[in-house]
Amino acid sequence: MADDSTPTGPPLTADRIFREHAPRIFQLAKRMLGNDADAEDVTQDVLVQVIRKLDTFRGDAAVGTWLHRVTVNAALTHRQKRATRQAREANDPMDRFLEDGHHAGPVHSWGVDPERPVLEAEQHERIEAAVAKMPESYRDVYVLADIEQLPNAEIAGILGLSVAAVKSRLHRGRVWMRDELAPYFEEKLA
Amino acid sequence: MTCQQMVEILCDYVDGSMPEATRAELEAHLGDCPPCVNYVQSYKATAALGRALPKCCEMPPELEARLRAFVTSAAEQPGA
Repeated sequence: MADDSTPTGPPLTADRIFREHAPRIFQLAKRMLGNDADAEDVTQDVLVQVIRKLDTFRGDAAVGTWLHRVTVNAALTHRQKRATRQAREANDPMDRFLEDGHHAGPVHSWGVDPERPVLEAEQHERIEAAVAKMPESYRDVYVLADIEQLPNAEIAGILGLSVAAVKSRLHRGRVWMRDELAPYFEEKLA
Repeated sequence: MTCQQMVEILCDYVDGSMPEATRAELEAHLGDCPPCVNYVQSYKATAALGRALPKCCEMPPELEARLRAFVTSAAEQPGA
């Protein structure tokens, strides 16, 4: 999916759409659905939709913006239809505190610079695995906000949520992710 | 402010949308709570690691071939 700043290039064709957008559609769908097979189904669905509308787009920016929305909607629909879907209970990550409001366990520092994180291959795999495991109600917003870096207002429009709900889910997604990754990144210091 | 209360409003602190008075209260808590300093650092790192993930990927060759054949077929169908 091209960025909005991408200049208009050659005419949009099915082949060009495939080359320039299919890998990113697949990646976004895979992160939302957690596996290759479902992501392939969604990628096919999205590609058919975009090919049918090729002559209605006025430039790359319009396609990129539209593809985010269509991919997310297709992934959500696919998830609802998935017969073998495993319901994942979203335990509230804010529950991990004592009654007096203190942390329930020790909180160690991480060997990660928040300003300039460097992703090694093993870390990359750990984070992707954690994203796939994240409760769906947090995962959609986390993927769109922290990975795709869409503005909260745009995410709210795509998912049909209020901006406040987006921020709340993003926060809980980050807290869940932090707790999931903490054992790994804390161990790196040992 | 307790540790739990600090964590509950951390998103606003990190994105800069927190009112000044609340921010001062939160930072006062941080000045007295090393575990929460570590928590804030790791929370920021979590967001940063997400941003560091690639937005695109190399598709497996077999998958790419299947999808390319599918797209070619779809584009050739009437009404495509």
